Amino acid sequence: MAVSLGYKNVYRDPYGFPKWQDKGLPINSAPAGLTASLEAAASVPSAQSLQGWAMLWTLLGIFAGGLALNLTPCVYPMIPITVSFFGGRAAQEKPNQLKLVAHGLCYLMGLALTNSILGVVAALTGGLMGAILQSPLVLTIIAVVLVLFATSLFGLWELRLPGSLNQMAAKSYTGYFGSLFMGLTLGVVAAPCIGPFVLGLLTWVASMGDPWLGFLIFFILSLGMGLPLFVLAIFSGQLQRMPQAGGWMIWVRKLMGWVLVGMAVYFIRPIIPGAMKVIMPIGVALAAGLHLGWIDKNQASFKLFPWLKAIVGTVCLVFAAIWITAWIIRGPGVEWHTYSEKILQEAIVQNKVVIIDFYAEWCTPCREFEEIVFHDPDIVSLAEAGFILVKVDVTQGGNPLHEQLLKKYDIKGVPTIVFLDTLGIERLDLRLVDFLPPKQFLVHMGRVQKPL
Amino acid sequence: MKSRASIVLALSAVVVAVVFVWYGQRPTIPAQATWDEVLIEAEVGGYRIITTEELADRYRKDSSAQLLVDTRQEWEYRTGHMESALNFPMEPTWWSRWRKAGDLEDLLGSDKERYLVFY
Repeated sequence: MAVSLGYKNVYRDPYGFPKWQDKGLPINSAPAGLTASLEAAASVPSAQSLQGWAMLWTLLGIFAGGLALNLTPCVYPMIPITVSFFGGRAAQEKPNQLKLVAHGLCYLMGLALTNSILGVVAALTGGLMGAILQSPLVLTIIAVVLVLFATSLFGLWELRLPGSLNQMAAKSYTGYFGSLFMGLTLGVVAAPCIGPFVLGLLTWVASMGDPWLGFLIFFILSLGMGLPLFVLAIFSGQLQRMPQAGGWMIWVRKLMGWVLVGMAVYFIRPIIPGAMKVIMPIGVALAAGLHLGWIDKNQASFKLFPWLKAIVGTVCLVFAAIWITAWIIRGPGVEWHTYSEKILQEAIVQNKVVIIDFYAEWCTPCREFEEIVFHDPDIVSLAEAGFILVKVDVTQGGNPLHEQLLKKYDIKGVPTIVFLDTLGIERLDLRLVDFLPPKQFLVHMGRVQKPL
Repeated sequence: MKSRASIVLALSAVVVAVVFVWYGQRPTIPAQATWDEVLIEAEVGGYRIITTEELADRYRKDSSAQLLVDTRQEWEYRTGHMESALNFPMEPTWWSRWRKAGDLEDLLGSDKERYLVFY
């Protein structure tokens, strides 16, 4: 690289520092305080009460975050319901723009109110909320709800308000209550679904412990999330009168349904055992590809539609094929987690040993560990029973958390494999800094499980 | 009929994907670069190779005659580096090269004849 900048005498020493050090040539080490500024910048913003401009900017940021949540499939089930609800309304009454906007606002409010419960509960229960959202029971419920809505999108049943409520709403509140109620109920779907996406925000709200602020933050968040739905609600009258809203629309609903099924699988993956972890996503991808590409017989008036179907189907099948091949060739590997204090705490609670692997792409022994040791069947099964494996990938510099960890564990290079015993204390005697064949690695794993 | 064409398309795409994955994921042990490969790489890159011994000789004669640049990451540099070496963290990606070109020029200075050693 220096060559391209025009330098003439460019040399490279391929042996680099390790050999230089071995030969006892002069070396330095920089004072550890060098990264102090980095750490200061990385420290979590203190959880003080927000005031004035800071408050306004924070809320604007959260609103933008809410808009971004529309990229998650959580809003999918609401799209067709919104369209049918507001579209039907527009067909009954004479479309009055002002009235429609008011209805849309009611709807949005209802949605936001339900979601805000998340924030309030988080603020009241502290860190519990995040833990609850990741508990197997809640994950299963979310997955079941997602699949239910997916079946609705597939056209197996029609999502509708209970008739009695609908009547009551129509009678006494000229429909505004209906819109509000619609939003409130749909929020029940959205709230648990967005939960896992906003864990960070939940933790933050929990750390402030102010239910009112929690409510406000999540209210603003859901306003952002609901804004596109609001627009959709207003225009759904026109949408229904759009031409060509035939077969392809039904197909798009099925596509959304499959995305929901995929997300359901993603949610429950951490809690399903063994081989099912791999088989389930593959099965979903296969079924989705066949259904969307070939089994579904919907046709549209534009010519490219059959090709669109074929391409979507093919992409799903290709994903399934890639998973299957990768799985057959390598066998399952161990399951990696990303570093967090929470996971270390969980390990202590569950009486499990933690292995932290400091890894980089360019480091050959690190890749050997990954390819051989962490895909060894004995190690995989042993790891599943009593170990939590955490990978810290330091290939790219500049991650403040990683810098902190490198310092905390006094890492001198990669690979380094750190073993924390069931009390969360590092077993320095077992630390590995070079490749170790699977047999000996198993011995290491056995030794760390027994207390000193 | 079009559906037959689409099935053929899908199957061939699946086959290509399978072959691709199989090729990429074969359980191979990544090879350590051999000395010859290092030489070829240097030739392609337009730079020369210096061994630790040669560098040590030069260094003992005059430790300021050459500029030593440590391209490892900052935390590796911090735990120990050649005396008088400067740290310039480089990841082996084109993105990082492109992004850091200007900074490197600042670090190396305007003397294009300067004796530079990277490691």
